[in-house]
Amino acid sequence: MDRLVACQTCGLVQKVGEVPKDSVIKCARCHFQIFHRRLNSRTRTLAFSLAALILYFPSNLYPLVTADYQGQHVQTTVFQGIRALFQHQQYFIACLVFCTSILTPGLKIIGLIFISLTLNWPYWKKTRTWTYKIIRIIDPWNMLEVFLLAICVSMIELGEVAAVHPGRGVLSFAATVVLTLLATLSFDPRLLWDSPAEKRHYE
Amino acid sequence: MNEESHGLPKAKIEKSRSSWILWLIPIAAALLCVWYLCRDLIFAGPTVTIYFQNADGLQEQVSLVQYRGVKVGEVESLKLAKDQKSVAVRAQLDFSAANLAREGSVFWIVRPELKLGAVSGLRTIVMGNYVTVQPGDGARTNEFTGAETAPIEPVKALSIELHSVKLDALQPQSPIFFRGVQVGEVLDCRLSEDSREVVTHARIVEEYAPLVRMNSKFWNAGGINFHLGLFSGAKITAESAQTLVSGGIAFATPPNPQDPATNGAVFILNEKSEPAWEKWSPEIPLHFEPSAVTNKNSWPNLSPQ
Repeated sequence: MDRLVACQTCGLVQKVGEVPKDSVIKCARCHFQIFHRRLNSRTRTLAFSLAALILYFPSNLYPLVTADYQGQHVQTTVFQGIRALFQHQQYFIACLVFCTSILTPGLKIIGLIFISLTLNWPYWKKTRTWTYKIIRIIDPWNMLEVFLLAICVSMIELGEVAAVHPGRGVLSFAATVVLTLLATLSFDPRLLWDSPAEKRHYE
Repeated sequence: MNEESHGLPKAKIEKSRSSWILWLIPIAAALLCVWYLCRDLIFAGPTVTIYFQNADGLQEQVSLVQYRGVKVGEVESLKLAKDQKSVAVRAQLDFSAANLAREGSVFWIVRPELKLGAVSGLRTIVMGNYVTVQPGDGARTNEFTGAETAPIEPVKALSIELHSVKLDALQPQSPIFFRGVQVGEVLDCRLSEDSREVVTHARIVEEYAPLVRMNSKFWNAGGINFHLGLFSGAKITAESAQTLVSGGIAFATPPNPQDPATNGAVFILNEKSEPAWEKWSPEIPLHFEPSAVTNKNSWPNLSPQ
């Protein structure tokens, strides 16, 4: 039986026939995808956050910035940067950098993996909701990660005339930022309270 | 069915991409990690420990290991050795420089040096001290004892021994002249075993080795020769400006030259020359290799670096 839907992009009202599983609806006029619920939300979240978790380690273990002065060269990881800030009595900035670049991405990744893995489990519904709430609270703070590079670079540049360039960890660091972003974007919180029948259809 | 819906277009239904493609993302991330690990574990060169008496001017994670002016490794850590008599410098060599970690390799620290007559290591004033190496060819090893000073570059040369009554301003790298042309250098000076003489080891570069004959005369050319004669007036001579400060040796070979000197030949180092010696002018053919004359690098210790 046909249903009537309006495209959320161009507003065209159109008929939709029976939609088999693993199919998507495309607008007849603008060809954008029409959806009621995001497809594969759980798989997407799990895949992105797993990838982010894997790359979380090299991005924090490898130097983010390499500075060359006159033949010497200094490599700085995120953690060394924070320690340097502490030693310079910049406690506030050091805490901020620690929270935004080590603590919150880690919490977020672990939280998302926890939610998407235990989604079909009938217990711990409240815990999952709480986890999601925390993720939503710390989410905007992740955006500050990009400032970290600027801080590291300016710190080293104060020392001497130097050539500063990204270190080996910068690729995995950028990838972690993008992947955690995608993981939060693809998670549909409605999954948390779906009935078992809905779950089978949407996850 | 509602009548009004008949004129409406029908949305297209397409097969969605299968979700297994999503799992390629974590797999790609894992592969990236594996590559990082491979690069660090497999493609890392050896870590060597060098024991120095003094690691002054080296910095952890900052100082480099250089060979022929190219970075071949990094200083990882500086620690006091267990016996507290030396400093253990751990250095990570590059994969391409793994062959430097062999028995017989000599590591030393290049520092700025200002000596009378020679300046070296000037670059280290701005870029910091670094560790450098003279490669050996023994078996692979990871433990070395660092040299305090740069080892003497093995150059094909004739080595001779000069005995004198006292040391007159001679020091390692003092020049040896023949007709005012530098043909060799002093390697070291020390007292003889019975302490009655000063023994000076010197080397003459290979191309000029035929000049040294068993009956050649050596004299100390350092300082200023001051000669006051009743009719000739005052006469002041010096071999070169460099010998004024660092001392030097000159030699001459008589017109009837004997056999060429062999390695380890012993000569007497006279305190000053006799006028006759300076007039000697034997004809001795030299065999120059064209590259050896122009290429100063074949003789690095003679020219200030």
